[in-house]
This record gives sequence, structure tokens and C-alpha cells, in this order.
Amino acid sequence: MNCSSEDLKAYFLGELSSLDKAPVEDHVRACQSCREELERLKLTQTTLLALEDEEVPRRISFVSDKVFEPRWYETIWHSGPAMGFASAVILAAAILTYGFTRSVVAVTPAVDTAQIEQRIEREVNARLEAVVAKAVSDAQSRQAAEFAKVLDATEKRFETRRQADLATVQQAAEYYEKQMSRWEIALNDARAGQ
Amino acid sequence: MIFREVEDRDLIAKARRGNVDAYNVLVSRWEKRVFNYLLRLVGHREDALDLSQDVFLKAYQNLKKLEDPARFPGWLFRIAHNEAYSLLRRNRPESELAVEPKTGGESSGRMFPMELTLAVRGALSRLSDDQREAVLLKVYQGFKFEEMAEILSCPVSTVKSRLYTALDLLKQTLAPVKMGGAE
Repeated sequence: MNCSSEDLKAYFLGELSSLDKAPVEDHVRACQSCREELERLKLTQTTLLALEDEEVPRRISFVSDKVFEPRWYETIWHSGPAMGFASAVILAAAILTYGFTRSVVAVTPAVDTAQIEQRIEREVNARLEAVVAKAVSDAQSRQAAEFAKVLDATEKRFETRRQADLATVQQAAEYYEKQMSRWEIALNDARAGQ
Repeated sequence: MIFREVEDRDLIAKARRGNVDAYNVLVSRWEKRVFNYLLRLVGHREDALDLSQDVFLKAYQNLKKLEDPARFPGWLFRIAHNEAYSLLRRNRPESELAVEPKTGGESSGRMFPMELTLAVRGALSRLSDDQREAVLLKVYQGFKFEEMAEILSCPVSTVKSRLYTALDLLKQTLAPVKMGGAE
């Protein structure tokens, strides 16, 4: 390796890779001129670093200013836990809202309110008519059953009475028949006695 | 250093969420380095202080644009570089007048601490702004060539060129001083 001021400076400044360092170090060990050059660079750096840092005359600090503060949503957006909490709150609110307004939501999709009202009215009327019709039908059925029951009972009562009347008539007939027989016998006896 | 970086990262995260107290802690960690960098670059204490305040204010306003908090030092010094050069461009004639007189770069004899300080300041002031800034970033702030290239918005080759030239000039002035004038 020949004397290279650039390589020497790069080596001195710590900018060479370990691979590139070795040949420079070998050269410096062998080259008096480069050794002296390296010493001068080190001396220069040491002298430069003798210049001490000055203290800052006035401390730099900032106060909270609304102009520079982020918006509340930016603060939340850049905060992981806060963002998670906010998400949970929003999700809970959405679930609650859905829970409370679910029936409303089911009806609300209709665009025209008047149309919805008409539909509801029609639906209610239809259901009402159906209910009334069923009630009437049930009442009629109940009445028919009761009527049939009463009729049946009346028929039975009438039959019983008829049977009783028949029996009475039969008894009366038998009585009159016996009486007639008696009268006939008596008449015959009377005739025979005459 | 690793812990320091981690803590800086935490402070940056908090400051991004609007925590001014966290940002003030971050400022307190970096203000001395930034102030001295600016002081050696512009040469005026009050200007350096004003610039430092501007640098930290701009850094706070743009903190959300910093994609990787680990690159905060380079990012901060890039803001400082831009602020300093804005001032240097505005005050070019005054700045040139403000350059300290030569303090006997070729003088011989042992230097007292105050003389040494003046000699270093004088040697730095005789460099061009670009050369001086390269020395400040490398020797005093310890940035790597790639980081310097990002801060200065120039190729690494340009960084090397400025720095090597500056070192040659400083060596001529400062090495003999420390060595008792024997160059």
C-alpha cells in the first residue's frame, strides 16, 4: 500500500471497515511519514476538543400552547391504550344503541313515513279483521253447539213427554176400553135381563 | 448510549402526543450540543441562542414527520443546519466581519488554556462555513459520513472533501501550536 492521505484520514476518523483498517495499520507501522501525519491529526483533534462546550445562556423550554398542541382526536389516535379504550367505548355504545333501537331500526328503513303509516294501518286492519272474523266464527260455532245441545235436550224432553203422554193415552185407552167392555157387558146383561 | 436512545425514543413518542413536559426533557438533553454547534457555526452567542430556540420549536412542530425516532440526532442537526445557513445567508457581510482575527496560527510557544481556546476559535473561524460545519459535525458531534451527508444534503464524497481539506488547514494551524511551534 502506498501513502494515501485520504485513507489515513478515513482511518483516523473511524470511517474504515475492519477489513479496510488492517492494510492501513500495516502501512502506518512501516511508514514513518504516515505515522507522523497520523500523530499530527491526533494532535489537531485533541486541540480542537480542548474547546469546551459553553453552557446555554438561557434554558430553552416550552410551555403548553393550544396552538401547538394536537387535537384531542390526534392525542387519542397516537395513544395505543387510549385508542384501545376509545374503541371499546365506541363498540359498547354501538351495541347499546343497537339494543335499544333495534325495533325502531327494523321499521325505519322505509323511506316514506306516510307510506309506512299506511302499511302499518293496512296490516293492523287486516289483523283486526282476521281476529274479529275468528272471534265471530268461534262465537257462531259456540252458539251452534249450544243450540244443538238445547235442541237435543228439548228433543229428549219432548220424546220423554211424548212417551209419557202415549203411556197416559194408552192407559186412558185401556181404561176406556175396559170401561166400554164393562158397559158392553152391563148392556148385554141388561139386555139379557130384559 | 443504548438506554439513552431508548429514553429519547420514549420522550419523542410522548412529545408526539402533545406532552410538552416530555419534550422539554428532550430539549434539555440536546440543547447544549445544538447551541454549541450553532455558536461555532455562526459565531454569535445571541444568534446561536435564538437559532437554538427556533430549531427546537421547528423540531416540535415537525416531530410527527420524523419516521424513525432513532434518527432524531441527525434529523435535529439537519434542522439546525438549515436554520444556521438561513441566518448566514441573510447576514453574510456581517458574518464575514464577525470572523475573529487571526490568532497567530504560526505562533510558537506553549499556549495557556485561554490562548488555546482563542487559537482553536480562530482556526475554526478561518475555515469556510462548509468546512467548519463538517468539522463540527464530525469532531464535536461524532456523526458518520452518511449521517453528515443527510444533514448537509450532499454526497458523501463532498462531505469527505470538505472535512479532509478542513483537517489539513486546521493541522497546519493547530498542530504546531500544541507541539510548541515545531511543525
